Amino acid sequence: MIAGLALIAGVVLGLITRPTVPTWLEPYLPIAVVAALDAVFGGVRARLDRIFDAKVFVVSFISNVLVAALIVFIGDKLGVGAQLSTAVVVVLGIRIFGNAAAIRRHLFRA
Amino acid sequence: MNERTPRPVSAQQLLDVVAETLDPGYAAAAARRGPNPKRRWYDAPAVIIGAFLIGLILVVAYIRTNRGAPEAAKVHDSLVTRVRDAQHTADGLATQVSRLDDQLNAVRGSALSSAQLQQIAADQLAAGIVAVKGPGVLVTLDEPHQSTQSAGSGRGGTTPIGATNILTDRDVRSVVNELWADGAEAISINDIRLTPTSAIRFAGEAVLIDFQPISPPYKIRAIGNSDDLATNFAQSDVASRYQTLVGVDHIRFSFDSATSLTLPAASPTGLKFATPGRAHQ
Repeated sequence: MIAGLALIAGVVLGLITRPTVPTWLEPYLPIAVVAALDAVFGGVRARLDRIFDAKVFVVSFISNVLVAALIVFIGDKLGVGAQLSTAVVVVLGIRIFGNAAAIRRHLFRA
Repeated sequence: MNERTPRPVSAQQLLDVVAETLDPGYAAAAARRGPNPKRRWYDAPAVIIGAFLIGLILVVAYIRTNRGAPEAAKVHDSLVTRVRDAQHTADGLATQVSRLDDQLNAVRGSALSSAQLQQIAADQLAAGIVAVKGPGVLVTLDEPHQSTQSAGSGRGGTTPIGATNILTDRDVRSVVNELWADGAEAISINDIRLTPTSAIRFAGEAVLIDFQPISPPYKIRAIGNSDDLATNFAQSDVASRYQTLVGVDHIRFSFDSATSLTLPAASPTGLKFATPGRAHQ
């Protein structure tokens, strides 16, 4: 509930201020988006599993973004940035999909 | 991060990526806290901050992705406006030309003798700078209804740029040439009159007649003896080729004789270098 409100607050603030992304940050934005979605779905699923933990939620989200960005950063320096970026998106994408399926099982018992 | 006992099989770790979709940290934290955890002071703020950041990131990414589109639309709009303006200018200039032409004719009429006037009128008719009307044929060439699958199927020499663009300048040109050969006296394409200096070209995806782009359907009007024109054209190679293409490429092609066609005037092009000379006999 409170998380949903905070999410909406973030969206509204973004829409109002329309922050511009610095150029050096742009390559990491897709990664951050996927990590953010992963955190959302993981959090909802943990909540439904009754094992939600605020600390894990925040720390895992931030560390996932940082680690993913680091991987891509190193990949960029070594010339495999695009491939590693894809790898991060694939792994997190699988997790998103699996968590979405678990949420579905919780909600619809199907 | 992973607090489970390490497995010796590394392939299992790959499978875990697929199977263990929930961050194991949640289970570990739940196990640490026991079945009835008490709320800690930072629970709510942490969730709020985390969710807030997530919302912000998502909307920032959304804005960044969609900001490019209006820019492109703006550029497109300004280009369209500029083209419209240029066309408007060209139209205005053409109107001016025809008005000045009328003035010129009036002045000439008062200055020249009737024999000279007749000579000039005949020459202007031949040069295509006065509107004419008379019997003739109307040939219509058009692209297929939808982009056809057989677009790339080996039309010799032509490389269509888009799949929708089957007809090119050479199609229009071959019809026009055939009509001249069949005895046409005056020809217009989509209401652009052909003159002795006219060029039929192809640029981008548009056929250009004297540098004016035209779009399909291409309506080619030719004035002449309508029976002869229709008969000769019907028997020509060009007509039978396009009849074939109607079946193969699904272009649309038709021609018909007409009792009265009106062809517009072309704007006169001044000859700068050519001067009257005597032919070698």
